[in-house]
Amino acid sequence: MTVAATDIPLAASRGWSRTQATGLVLLLAVVAFALLTPLLVPVDPLKQSLRHTLAGPDAAAPFGYDHLGRSLMARLAAALRLSLLIAAAAVGTSALLGVGLGVLAAWRGGLADRLASLLADSVLALPGLLTVLIIMAIVPNTPLAFWIGLSLVLWVEYFRLTRATVSRMIVAPGVQATRLLGFGPFYIFRRHLWPELAPMLLTVAALGAATTIMTVAALGFVSVGMRPPTPELGLMMVELLPYYREAPMALMSPVLATFLTLLGLNLIAGGRRA
Amino acid sequence: MTILLKAADVAVHAGGRRFAGPVSLTLQGGRPLTILGQTGSGKTLLAQAVIGTLPQGLSATGQVTVDGRCHDLSCPAELRALWGRVLGILPQEPWLSLDPLMRARDQIAEGHALVRGMGRTQARAAAERDLEQLGLRDAGDRRPDQLSGGMAQRVAFAAARTGGRIVIADEPTKGLDAARRDDVAQLLLSEVQKGGALLTITHDLALARALGGDLMVVREGQVVEEGPAARALSQPRHDYTRQLIAADPSSWPPARPRPVKGAPLVECRGITMTRGGRRLYSDLHLVVHPGEILGLLGPSGCGKSTLGDVALGLVRPDAGQIRRATGIAPCRFQKIYQDPPSAFPRHVRLGQALDDLVRLHRLDGGRIPLLLDRMRLSPVLLSRRPSEVSGGELQRLALLRVLLLDPVFLFADEPTSRLDLITQAEVTRLLVETARDTGMGLLLVSHDRDLIDASADRCLMLDVTRPSMAPAARLAS
Repeated sequence: MTVAATDIPLAASRGWSRTQATGLVLLLAVVAFALLTPLLVPVDPLKQSLRHTLAGPDAAAPFGYDHLGRSLMARLAAALRLSLLIAAAAVGTSALLGVGLGVLAAWRGGLADRLASLLADSVLALPGLLTVLIIMAIVPNTPLAFWIGLSLVLWVEYFRLTRATVSRMIVAPGVQATRLLGFGPFYIFRRHLWPELAPMLLTVAALGAATTIMTVAALGFVSVGMRPPTPELGLMMVELLPYYREAPMALMSPVLATFLTLLGLNLIAGGRRA
Repeated sequence: MTILLKAADVAVHAGGRRFAGPVSLTLQGGRPLTILGQTGSGKTLLAQAVIGTLPQGLSATGQVTVDGRCHDLSCPAELRALWGRVLGILPQEPWLSLDPLMRARDQIAEGHALVRGMGRTQARAAAERDLEQLGLRDAGDRRPDQLSGGMAQRVAFAAARTGGRIVIADEPTKGLDAARRDDVAQLLLSEVQKGGALLTITHDLALARALGGDLMVVREGQVVEEGPAARALSQPRHDYTRQLIAADPSSWPPARPRPVKGAPLVECRGITMTRGGRRLYSDLHLVVHPGEILGLLGPSGCGKSTLGDVALGLVRPDAGQIRRATGIAPCRFQKIYQDPPSAFPRHVRLGQALDDLVRLHRLDGGRIPLLLDRMRLSPVLLSRRPSEVSGGELQRLALLRVLLLDPVFLFADEPTSRLDLITQAEVTRLLVETARDTGMGLLLVSHDRDLIDASADRCLMLDVTRPSMAPAARLAS
């Protein structure tokens, strides 16, 4: 009914909801901590000082020291930088790959569609964690292996979502009208497809980043990810686990950092308005 | 005559503002009452207030008296007890409210069992009786997707009215073609003949005429005319009713066919199309000349739109040739769509979309204000998105967008089927004038014979059995 539609506006579907804004603030705080710590308190995260083993906070180490007398704050910031960098790289690569192939498959159809779908299905047939472990066995550099492996796992979701959305829109009157008016594929992507895809892709990207950070931490925790002495969240947790009685806060700090990062990402992903 | 329902001072409010009413109405046994109004006139709100189904955020005031009991409309929960028992409510597009996984008989029996408290066997027997009465004896075991639109409507009708003697039908003919519309009118009237009461909400003049009884014309939430339908429709007292009646295609002056001149713009020869294994048409010819308006008529699903798409080269026919006039840029062959909002990019402001077009083809952007003026559109609309503009305005904007490219051929695919009568008359007149003034060939698709008769030079009838070509005037006779 027009009366109702024009006079009682529904909540706008654009823009960020409050939940998403909270998530974004959390994530930005974590990023700021990771990037600013080396500038504000420039301490080498690898520098040991056994005099300070499990000591409390001081000016050089505001979060205290770990079992080898290394600054927890410096290690935490370094670990977060590593995780966030791998997450950003994996999300960027997989989004580019997935959206590109998805648009191609939906637009061209036929052989391109079948080949891309076959590829996506075969990737899905292999458990994600296994793919990452296989790549790690092949590629010697661990962060690089994480990036490649996780990108290979994550692109499928972008691909499926993009393909489903685009194939529906490409046959709709809107796109047909735009084509008849003489516009090219780039314009159709920019004006028709992208505004429709962007909010969905944001959700997938936030969840993908969370998956990446969790995978890196989980593999670090079971000692098949990053190697010591590299500061890494999962590795820090397992290293500090034996000292949970003497220094509970030292163990809590990587746990809390992981939790806040994942919470921020999940709020961004889940907070979309219905 | 018995009064079955009496509603007094019904009004609809939201946030301190009144949207509709106050209106009083009386439903009598054996005499239908029709509320006629355009989209947005508040007619559905009034009906929803009476039955207590207003959407959230809206509240009603007034009283309804049913069976000697008075109910206050401000607490709609009280009315719920009447649903199905006294009031049968037929929703808009009823086939959407059927359970897609349930057989027709069970859908109806469910109402008998749950609302009227019958036992299982009894309810099934009652459902069987309903089906038989509605001529659906063989359809009891079918699921909604196996029913035709008309059959689904009758099943929904049976399920909705299980007990009620008062039937309230909201836009029962929405999205139906003329033949189906008459069926619905018959169906509703059969209930009235048994002494029941009927309240119909519609924008369809033909339905109002077919139902007869009493008529209320609503505009902006107010009743502007009230009285027996036959009188109100033949001798309207209010200007608005007169406008409505004049806007109905059946009262438009018939078109005078004009001789064609010039080489054909689009020529389709020997077109054959099949869809889903069914032959739509074979060896069909279609020629459009400059300035000519060719009407394309046929029931829904006969392939009218597909034929237009074939002429534009959007769809490849199974057989046949399409020839277009040579030396004309492809973007001067254009199309207007049935559902105006779907033809624009959803998230882009309309002005931006037009600017993009002007920039792409290096057009003269100065023509936009002139065309806006000619279409009687406010420039404010350009700052809005498609969902924030009414269908009629959007369809005129679609025409404006197309006219910027100086089209030589325009395929208008049911351009007014989703619009109000008055808007329909306006948009159709604009299309016809444009074709006459600019020498553009117009292929006008519609399921409304009156509309084609009044606007087209020639008409192509797509029938399931065999297509026939005739001048529009001959069709009318």
